[in-house]
Amino acid sequence: MMTSRQCLQATLEHRQPDRVCVDLGATFISGAHASTVSKLRQALVDDPAYRVRIIHPLQLNGEIDEILLRELPTDVIGVFPSMTAFGFRNEDWRPWQLFDGTDVEVPGGFRPTADGNGDLLLHPGGDPSALPSARMPRGGHYFDPIVRQEPIDEEHLDPADNTEEYGPLGDADLADFARRARLAATETEYGVFGTIPGVWGYGDAMVVPAVGLRRPKGIRDPEEWYMSLVARKDYVHAVFRHQTELAIENIGRLAAALGHSVQAVRICGADFGGQHGPLISRRTYVELFSPYYRAINAAIHASTGWKTFKHCDGSIYELIPEFIADGFDILNPVQTSAAHMDARTLKQEFGKDLVFWGGGVETQSTLPFGTPDEVYREVRERIDIFNDGGGFVFAAIHNIQPNTPVPNLLAMIRALRDSRRTSEPDR
Amino acid sequence: MADLEVLIAAIQDGDRATATRVTAEAIRDEMDPQSILDAMTAAMAEVGRRFQCNEVYVPEMLISARAMKEATALLEPVLIKADIRPEWTAVIGTINGDLHDIGKNLVAMMWRGANIKVVDLGTNVPAERFVEAARDHQASLIGISALLTTTMTGMRDAVAAIRAADLPGMRIMVGGAPVTPEFAAEIGADAYAPDAASAVDVAKGAVAAG
Repeated sequence: MMTSRQCLQATLEHRQPDRVCVDLGATFISGAHASTVSKLRQALVDDPAYRVRIIHPLQLNGEIDEILLRELPTDVIGVFPSMTAFGFRNEDWRPWQLFDGTDVEVPGGFRPTADGNGDLLLHPGGDPSALPSARMPRGGHYFDPIVRQEPIDEEHLDPADNTEEYGPLGDADLADFARRARLAATETEYGVFGTIPGVWGYGDAMVVPAVGLRRPKGIRDPEEWYMSLVARKDYVHAVFRHQTELAIENIGRLAAALGHSVQAVRICGADFGGQHGPLISRRTYVELFSPYYRAINAAIHASTGWKTFKHCDGSIYELIPEFIADGFDILNPVQTSAAHMDARTLKQEFGKDLVFWGGGVETQSTLPFGTPDEVYREVRERIDIFNDGGGFVFAAIHNIQPNTPVPNLLAMIRALRDSRRTSEPDR
Repeated sequence: MADLEVLIAAIQDGDRATATRVTAEAIRDEMDPQSILDAMTAAMAEVGRRFQCNEVYVPEMLISARAMKEATALLEPVLIKADIRPEWTAVIGTINGDLHDIGKNLVAMMWRGANIKVVDLGTNVPAERFVEAARDHQASLIGISALLTTTMTGMRDAVAAIRAADLPGMRIMVGGAPVTPEFAAEIGADAYAPDAASAVDVAKGAVAAG
């Protein structure tokens, strides 16, 4: 019987694993909202007082702790940077409560303030005296960046302003990340995914507003950024070029420090797809993004055995061949609910070249709004389609939302257990 | 004499410098303001068509809308003086609890490009604000957007609240990534549009039917 690490490796190498490889929270985009993790944990573990930790301060992802992990049919664990996008660390945990009443734990630097409407505001560096950079509406489930765009003076735009938040990886951060990655690889038999620090998304709408900066300069409004892709191409190239140079330096140090401890790493989470078609043209993608993705993928493949993971929501069928040509190994979240993203077609056309990490169950429809039987059937069907010949890591299509009924989560887990041909490996 | 074909091409290409220059020339030449406006709306209609056919994408649409907006700002005082007004008003916003607005903004831009007056309430809009704004601006249509499955369900309450308010003939249109035509019908909305380009014809059809 394969260990989980072997199961993931076989999957990544397009060999048929002895059971479907499963990820339930090893990345920031294949997990679940803390409210959902808390409900699931209460259903599976007899510990009602336990507070799930929030490990992503915008999306409010819940941590899959060691005890919950043992109760789940999963093969992959994640290593995350300790530093958040806001510039505070995931440490010094303290109690907090979500709007829906869920008791959780948050990092000490997670210190939201309330505005006059009862909305919650987060601040750069976790410093409440700094102007806020993210907001969660009263009763909401997520923080979103606040657009802080200074007036744009076209003549004096400086690409360096848009890379202010990037730089060489600090020695302490590198050592800390490497230590945790090695522990994951040597002390467990799980597969290990790395959300590596020091490699940043390219024009990601969640990254552009720079929630960690007190006074971001340059192009910081996502709409202005979109326009820049056709109206300020030289500027975008200059930003991406510098970002890539820094990232490649960091990759060299990460490769030496991490070795084989991680098997796959996240490169970029920029979304190029909407529900009904791509947001940008193939031409824009090839001209502006491909050169830099190629450079990053080449640097990783030249110095490591890691597989590279591209997250991209939406209807992106026509961009997938470009992702492959650029050297990406893994696509996530495989949004089969979007136009032209039929699961069988994707598997047939791209399954030999790409690992699908996602596409396991619909989080826009079936999982939150379907019946448990519908969830069960969909999960089994997706596994039958995507896992044929390997190259599939089961994950929901993006994070599982906070309005998902527990019986549906349990139906998903039951379907996963039933589909795994052998019993769980001993750990 | 200013060349309106150049204005049309400039808006389609997102060339705001040329769009505003030709508009200023047309105003200086005392061209018929309705014909200038018609040229602008024709340009944006073509942008919408190209978007639907995947000939242009979000960045191109945004720069066209920006060129249109800047050119329209020059024309507006002339239109007011000539008593040329939008035929009707739409109120638009993102549903309560949801802060995502790029899709909603694109719809608002395309509506403005089609000479519909748009009152944009922004994001995180409770039902009572939709009602209040529709009443204050004598709107014919309310557009509600949602990106999240967690907020989409709030559209049902918003539609019910709008129906319960005294707004005779008010048309309600919904859209956003997780929203489907079936969901729109189920919650009692009058119309659903899958994207910003089709939102123009859908809105016009809904108001005409009302």
